[in-house]
Amino acid sequence: MNVKYINPFISATINTFKGFLGADLKTEKPSLFDSNKSEIRYDISGIIGLAGEVRGAVVISFPKLVALKIVSDFLKEDIKIFGEDVIDTVGELVNIIAGNAKRDMEEFRIVISLPSVVKGPNHQISWMQGVPVILIPFKSNYGPVYLFVSLKDII
Amino acid sequence: MKILVVDDSRIMRNVLKNILKEKQIDENAILEAGNGVEALEMLKNNEVDLILLDWNMPKLNGIELVKIVRNHERLKEIPIIMVTSEAARYNVMEAIKAGVTDYIIKPIRGEIVHKKLEELLGQ
Repeated sequence: MNVKYINPFISATINTFKGFLGADLKTEKPSLFDSNKSEIRYDISGIIGLAGEVRGAVVISFPKLVALKIVSDFLKEDIKIFGEDVIDTVGELVNIIAGNAKRDMEEFRIVISLPSVVKGPNHQISWMQGVPVILIPFKSNYGPVYLFVSLKDII
Repeated sequence: MKILVVDDSRIMRNVLKNILKEKQIDENAILEAGNGVEALEMLKNNEVDLILLDWNMPKLNGIELVKIVRNHERLKEIPIIMVTSEAARYNVMEAIKAGVTDYIIKPIRGEIVHKKLEELLGQ
């Protein structure tokens, strides 16, 4: 996967957290993700499919406590239930990240899907075969935030 | 005056409603819909003065709704502000071509929505 696909998503994630929550994210070193070897833990993922001249998926994942802290901060109330409000907010977050990243990839015509949200301890995501998945970890005051990008261009 | 807020995310509808209420817009003047089909139903049964409209929604998306509204005799003059994460210039152009009045890119900032309201409604 071309590295030029990574930076728009890093910028969009940082800007989305700043605009959505006023929160600062610190980018850590991106790496090739292998679900069989990875030790990161997460409980909820927002998934957006990309189609058009670039195909693949963008996923943002959080441990449960991090997601609850983010949603509590956003809604300005103490959210303790890992339910609809969390699902809705995580879906909206990944939607905004994908939509904003498109601005820096205008050489390609890209269509984004409606977001899907998956919950469960260390759930598996089926990635497009033959396309590498890049993991971009971020540090935040809420705890770790994980962004996964797996894309290929078709033109 | 009535404002219709259309977004498939209940959280985002609440964010927009709170921003409108900061402008002293009465809660009873704010209508909500979770997709384009629900929005059309609302428009059929109410006199709406402004639509705040998401793009990516199930059943009938924002752009499809704009095209229907602009071709409807009674509804075609209603100002529509698209409020969306779709930030690419070609998306903005597509929305303008379809007939939106204005365009706000998410994440939403209250002061931007307030400014657009002042411009469109003098509110």
